[in-house]
Amino acid sequence: MLLKKRFKRGWQKVKKLVLVVATLFVMALLITGCASKGGNQAQTQAKTIKIGFFAPETGSEAADGTSAYNSAKLLIDQVNSSGGINGAQLELVNYDDQLDTKQAVSIAQKLTTKDGVVAVVSGSYSGPTRAAAPIFQQAKIPMIAGYAVHPDIPRTGDYIFQQSFSGVVEGAAAAQVAKDKLNAKNVAILAINNDFGKTLVQGFQQQAAKLGLKVQDPNWFNFGDTEFTPVLTKIKDSGADVVFVPAYAAEGSQIIRRIHDLGLKIQPLGTEGLDSTTQFLEVAGQYADGLVIVTNLNRDSDQQVVKDYVKAYKDKYGHDPDMVGASTYDGLYVVINAIKKNGATPDQIRNGIAATKNFQAVTGVIQGYDAINQVIKPVQVQQVKNGVFKYFAEITDPAIITPPTK
Amino acid sequence: MFLQQLVNGITIGSLYSLVALGLTMVYGIMRVLDIANAGAYVLGAYLGVWGYTHTHSLPVALLAGVIGAALVGYLFQRLIYTPVNRPDDPIVPLIASIGLFIVMEDLFRLIAGPWTLTFPARLPFQRLALGGVIVTGSQLTILATAAVLFLLLWLVLNKTKIGLGWQATAQDTETSMAMGINTRAVLAFAFGMGYAFSAIAGILVAVHHNAVFPTMGDIPSYKMLAIVVLGGLGNPLGAILASMLIGLLEAFVGGYVGSSIPTDALAFMALIVILLVRPQGLFTSGGAAK
Repeated sequence: MLLKKRFKRGWQKVKKLVLVVATLFVMALLITGCASKGGNQAQTQAKTIKIGFFAPETGSEAADGTSAYNSAKLLIDQVNSSGGINGAQLELVNYDDQLDTKQAVSIAQKLTTKDGVVAVVSGSYSGPTRAAAPIFQQAKIPMIAGYAVHPDIPRTGDYIFQQSFSGVVEGAAAAQVAKDKLNAKNVAILAINNDFGKTLVQGFQQQAAKLGLKVQDPNWFNFGDTEFTPVLTKIKDSGADVVFVPAYAAEGSQIIRRIHDLGLKIQPLGTEGLDSTTQFLEVAGQYADGLVIVTNLNRDSDQQVVKDYVKAYKDKYGHDPDMVGASTYDGLYVVINAIKKNGATPDQIRNGIAATKNFQAVTGVIQGYDAINQVIKPVQVQQVKNGVFKYFAEITDPAIITPPTK
Repeated sequence: MFLQQLVNGITIGSLYSLVALGLTMVYGIMRVLDIANAGAYVLGAYLGVWGYTHTHSLPVALLAGVIGAALVGYLFQRLIYTPVNRPDDPIVPLIASIGLFIVMEDLFRLIAGPWTLTFPARLPFQRLALGGVIVTGSQLTILATAAVLFLLLWLVLNKTKIGLGWQATAQDTETSMAMGINTRAVLAFAFGMGYAFSAIAGILVAVHHNAVFPTMGDIPSYKMLAIVVLGGLGNPLGAILASMLIGLLEAFVGGYVGSSIPTDALAFMALIVILLVRPQGLFTSGGAAK
């Protein structure tokens, strides 16, 4: 009993001590944090152009977020080491949104009120990007989404751009590929149940209806699902000859592996979500051979900018870049191009991006942006051969690659 | 299709049961809901990959995962759970376990990187086609391993001194201590064994999916809670049966009804129904439900 009492008293002392230390620590952090920020601003305002950035750098999609950040950082370093823009150095103000819409909102508020950025690149998914976009619009700071495909993003307002084509365009291109290149008669869909999957399925269904292609009711799965044998058993019995799979790499690689395990005689057709060497190809292994995807990046391109990016990324980070990285690189590339051509205030950058015409970027030629800031560019079709993505086709038909403006 | 889904469901259930067993063994004895057990699942997978890339031998990989995870389980119990655990406040160890799980997950990301590692081990079984039913090599491996481990666990719990000690302590810690059972050893045994089981599940899943990544424990971390409660907390047999039930439910709903309901929600829907109808859990015998 006495021992217990003594223990309790001791414990309370420790608790008090911990509390005091913690309070001091927090205060110290706050003070140094404020001080360093203020100092930086005063010293470097004249010579640096600040560009905001956010991506899911920790949490479930840390791989994509890190790819995106690495690519943005690569481009910033490239520009700075070649002398910056008219003598001004670029600075990336980087935030981790943890794939959380609430985080994205508070990041957007920090970027627009505290950090003094002149433009923002989103290296994140559709969810956080959609949540952050209205804040940038209101602050009249241009934002460009690297690879978020939801059609509502550019519809937020005239300061919000989409570097990657809309999911509706990508889905429509996939339907065209299914019909023309894969001779599909009966298509099953196995899609992820979120903004990304739904938009792609919508585009696919609309175009398939125009083409008279038979499409079964979609099967949905959720983020993080790992078990696909049950639903693939169902698809096996449905008589489909092509399965359209709008999925991310983690789920997509398992779907491809299980298709092989179950001995399904079916042609899988994926999307840009599978366009990753480390996250998809290595996991799916030899079973990925033959897979066709619609995507943003043509790795076989003989354009110098593509070769340079792939080489520089691999040299710096030790592994192959993916679609996410290339698209984020391009988002920033477009912003930098606008600064070079038009000037570095938010309004000048906005107008500079809007005026982009036939700009050769890593993910193809950006023909331009339409009235509501959606990109117009060809859709790449790639096929996996011996464990590598190879050129399969390119969709340039304006009827497909022009996004709907309504 | 029915038989195929039956095989699919039992495989899913076997995997769940290996993780759920670890959790239920710890709960049975300490009344701690140990979320960090899902961290052992990821740890096992990473240690397995590490062992495999160095030796190209699946048994070595399994051994590395089992030993490493058991050691971590023991250390967590000695250094964290036992010091913070007080019978009047089960929230403290629960929060500690959530904290441990988050720290583990971020450590894996910082050490191994956020990218997926592959685990291209060759499995001892080939694909079997029995009539129209296909049992894949990895399904066979999972089923066989689970069967062996269930048997092993049954033998340990019923035929060894430490296993009987676990049973006694799970029923009543103080009386067991009074009867001369070394409850400290029993605690260490429960954590070591529980974490080792999770590690084996992690390695099997990693080979099955050819993928190891820092957040692979996210879904097990909460789904196992539903399964363990469903089976009756602290009841190993109940945990196995509940895992099979959830596995079959997921397979049949996924295969027949389609995916209007998220698969991961099924375990919790089953849990809600059971809590309403049979709050002590599905398979609890009167005594253990303290």
